[in-house]
Amino acid sequence: MFPRVSAIIPLRLLSPFPLCPGGSEAPAAAIVRLGAPHGTVRTKNEVHRYFGTNNVICNKKDEQSAPTRDMSKETETQESVKENTKKDLLGIIKGMRVELSTAKVQTTRPPNRRQLKSIEATTGRLHKVPEDAPKKRTKSLGPELVAAAAAVADVLPFDKQMTKSELLRQLQQHEEVSKAQKDGERAKISVSNIISDMKIAKSSTARVSTRPVHQIQFDEGSNDYVGQKKTNDLKKSLRKNILKGKRLNIFDLKAVTEEAPETETAPSLWDVEFAKQLAEVNEQPLQNGFEEMIQWTKEGKLWEFPINNEAGPTSISAHSIKRLPNL
Amino acid sequence: MAAVASGLYVGVRCRLCLTLTGQWTGLCGKAPSRFYSGSATLPKIEGANVTGIEEVVIPKKKTWDKVAVLQALASTVNRDSTAAPYAFQDDPYLIPTSSVESRSFLLAKKSGENAAKFIINSHPKYFQKDTAEPHIPCLMPEYFEPQIEGISEAALKERIKLKKVRASVDMFDQLLQAGTTVSLETSNSLLDLLCYYGDQEPSADNHFQQSEKSEELEEAIEENNEKSKKAGHQFGVTWRAKNNAERIFALMPEKNSHSYCTMIRGMVKHRALVQALNLYTELLNNRLHADVYTFNALIEATALSMNEKLEDKWNKILELLKEMAAQKVKPNLQTFNTILKCLRRFYSFGRLPALQTFREMKAIGIEPSLATYHYIIQLFYQHENPSKGSSLIIYDIMNELKGKKFSPKDPDDDMFFQSAMRVCSVLRDLELAYQVHGLLNTGDNWKFIGPDHRRNFYYSKFFSLLCLMEQIDVTLKWYKDLIPSVFFPRSQTLIDLLQALDVANRLEVIPEIWKDSKEYGHGFRDALKEEILMLMARDRHPPELQVAFADCAADIRSTYESQDARQTAPDWPANALNYIAVLFLRGGRIQEA
Repeated sequence: MFPRVSAIIPLRLLSPFPLCPGGSEAPAAAIVRLGAPHGTVRTKNEVHRYFGTNNVICNKKDEQSAPTRDMSKETETQESVKENTKKDLLGIIKGMRVELSTAKVQTTRPPNRRQLKSIEATTGRLHKVPEDAPKKRTKSLGPELVAAAAAVADVLPFDKQMTKSELLRQLQQHEEVSKAQKDGERAKISVSNIISDMKIAKSSTARVSTRPVHQIQFDEGSNDYVGQKKTNDLKKSLRKNILKGKRLNIFDLKAVTEEAPETETAPSLWDVEFAKQLAEVNEQPLQNGFEEMIQWTKEGKLWEFPINNEAGPTSISAHSIKRLPNL
Repeated sequence: MAAVASGLYVGVRCRLCLTLTGQWTGLCGKAPSRFYSGSATLPKIEGANVTGIEEVVIPKKKTWDKVAVLQALASTVNRDSTAAPYAFQDDPYLIPTSSVESRSFLLAKKSGENAAKFIINSHPKYFQKDTAEPHIPCLMPEYFEPQIEGISEAALKERIKLKKVRASVDMFDQLLQAGTTVSLETSNSLLDLLCYYGDQEPSADNHFQQSEKSEELEEAIEENNEKSKKAGHQFGVTWRAKNNAERIFALMPEKNSHSYCTMIRGMVKHRALVQALNLYTELLNNRLHADVYTFNALIEATALSMNEKLEDKWNKILELLKEMAAQKVKPNLQTFNTILKCLRRFYSFGRLPALQTFREMKAIGIEPSLATYHYIIQLFYQHENPSKGSSLIIYDIMNELKGKKFSPKDPDDDMFFQSAMRVCSVLRDLELAYQVHGLLNTGDNWKFIGPDHRRNFYYSKFFSLLCLMEQIDVTLKWYKDLIPSVFFPRSQTLIDLLQALDVANRLEVIPEIWKDSKEYGHGFRDALKEEILMLMARDRHPPELQVAFADCAADIRSTYESQDARQTAPDWPANALNYIAVLFLRGGRIQEA
């Protein structure tokens, strides 16, 4: 929570921000209602919410709103920002990041009567961004990703076209990022810095797109996991695969698996102590009486079950007793 | 004294017998259904004839090991979430109510056992009576003093076996002075002893003391998050130059590769890194081969050496690996785990090499253990800052691990679940947390949860994440399930739970939570009490609820008062007074307000 607080503090400059007049009634009412019932402890959250919706309203009105003003210091780390629209978009994405982190404060504690408001807020944001999406399609996405994005868009009850384009745009960014990371060349340090900046924006937006899914499912009381699974599939295909990629190429599989004739030496002190350490890793206190009995049986304190009458040497020699066959 | 001691011994035996019978009757009394299921499996276990439809096929008689029946029975018993863990005595005074108490109870139990063993072992001549049939070796006193007197190689071997460092060094010196040569094998085992224990006596082989010390050290180490931990009680033993091991090493007329290897391993263990590397070059000069453990030690030595840049270190490690391949030494799991452990210190430079190492390991066919994943997680999620380009590798890892069962292969295996849950809570991903928890519950993986404090950490993080992100009913179910039988909540956890209740508008549960908090020893935490009072006082509630709240407030007030009686400066927080007054007014208890 605290990194978000530090991100919010620059926004405190905006506090004497007038409510944009003529804004839609619902958000204004939302602000009022949000402000009212909180006690002293909740001031921080309340202020965050206040700024969250506040930014929504003002962004609806003007493009060059305060968020871009504060995020200007981040724009200087971006590369290839040639077109003005791109700059605006990135600025708004940065602004979105800050808002979305405030939205996270909202959405992680969704009270019953406020869920609708937060959904409206996120709707507003999602709608806002595709308005000025640049045509930056440098690489193409795989068809299954597109299909998955379409499926997700179908599930969310927002405007399907916009969410689909929004998701596709995020996928694009993610593809760029994952490909850049897959190459893994350290020479491109500047690029990776910038891309990591972009990744920040992307990852938080990706997270927002799953939050409303959660909320909506709870709201509608439907146990529809399809939407959730689709986002999981998206996640899976987008992750940098831990198994694929370069390896050290030092050891050869054949050379390693051939069985060298190993001389049988008695385990040295190192081996014995290592085995003892390993056994300690798995040690947990006994969970029930049976486990205690198992422990005792292994130590030899308890007779084996089923009872074996011939176990162990007895004082009476075996030959001197006539025995019946054991039933 | 003898009578008392033998009485103690007999008492111990009787307790065993009694508990045996007691267990069985208790079992029959409590859970007859379970007993029947156990007995139902018995005929099968005896290997009865299976009659087929057409012909009688007599299967081979199966031989079961001696604990098979008990294991089958044990698998039918699930955890009872309303009872204290089995390790405690089932008595109202002896059931712990906080984590401090549970630790001290377990320590008390173990120290009682240790005390008994100590007495038996220090006075073995009083405990010779052996009435157990068949003979139970572990209950008889053990012999810790060397029996063979005189100067001979056999005496030396015995002292080495008994791990008497000083005595064996003395014996070795005496043998040399007497002119007899000591065989290579014996001198090697003497070197082993010296190198492993760093020329000091092993600490009194008291298992529980050892683990306690290593736990404290672990906590310190985890806070610093720097050094690797090995054999906790040896931490801090440094390799003195020209100590006995080096001296004896120099005195040995012939040295084989085992001697060099064990010296190198000892040096690395006790942080004499430069000497270890020098000795390795000497080994190569003598055209001897090192084994895989020595290479592991050398890799660690390279990584820990202070004065080089990270890239150089990594290149040196790669060179070592290539030498290993050239000498046809097969790497094992420890090799790769050591590499990953050392890469942790390289911070973000180590990410790519770590992945490469991991893929190499899979390519060779060495199955990674939980410790491997733990190191990778630590490397990628080292700082708690979630927004700094957090890696998504945890999802890959969890996909890999789904449904797998593990057996202990590395001493650090038990740190995996803790770090995985830490990452989940940093990422605020409940799905992932459920996956991790599911992995914990597959097969025997629950044993990897680690010692007490790690288990508490895991469950507190898990529960806080639940409070944060899950619906309140589910959270309350988990609450009833986990607390108090699995872990005792800290006050912060309870505050999280209260906030979740607040968010979900279920404030009527608060008086229960207050009762529970008092039970778990949080009755004197101001932050918790203020939170409770504030939540209760904030809104108006239906009248029955108000009465309950007023009772609760009276309770809280009494705790404040008793606390004041102990402290010299009574200092009721102003907020608390406000809230209490308001609640009393609403509850119609105007007098007390």
